[in-house]
Amino acid sequence: MFAVRKSDLTPAQRAHTRRILWLLLAYAIILPPLVWIRANTAVAALMAIAASLPVLGIFASWGRHVSDERDEYHQTMALRRIAVATNATMGAAVVWGFLQGFGAMPLVEAYWIPCIWVLMQGMFACIGAFSRRGAE
Amino acid sequence: MENRLRLLRAERNWSQQDLAERLDVSRQSVNAIETGKYDPSLPLAFRIAELFDLAIEEVFESPSRRSSKAI
Repeated sequence: MFAVRKSDLTPAQRAHTRRILWLLLAYAIILPPLVWIRANTAVAALMAIAASLPVLGIFASWGRHVSDERDEYHQTMALRRIAVATNATMGAAVVWGFLQGFGAMPLVEAYWIPCIWVLMQGMFACIGAFSRRGAE
Repeated sequence: MENRLRLLRAERNWSQQDLAERLDVSRQSVNAIETGKYDPSLPLAFRIAELFDLAIEEVFESPSRRSSKAI
């Protein structure tokens, strides 16, 4: 199975990965009880915002990662991944929006857009790691 | 951009990790520069040239000169 060696990560990458794991854990803990009590409370909007906070944290962590990264190659790669993921996600959202508007596709909740963006980041990280292994 | 980094490193028996530590960059950066997948910034290119006690153009080949040679 593929494994990332600790020495392969820059300090900024290590800090970013640690932040993301904590935020994903917070998301996994916060979301289920909020969904469960959603129908029985008047503070649904506040709960919805609380559920979105870890995902907002993930975006903030990406920004901080790019800012903290001192290795120019990794910084360039991170910016490139962000640009590709953003363009691909926005493109998919626009196409889906029109398909939905013309009745060709069902309604998809808007929060899937950032989820796809985050999944793309993970996918690019795996592709990058595998291609580096292949090149060495 | 073509460069002589791998050759210069091999002459000194340095691994990519050794060179990366001397330049204060990641080993992946050294690999990407050597294989021509990434062109370093001007400050990093100067650091590389100074480490080998050479001028930048002795380490990196100018892409414009390379293309004019081809013509």
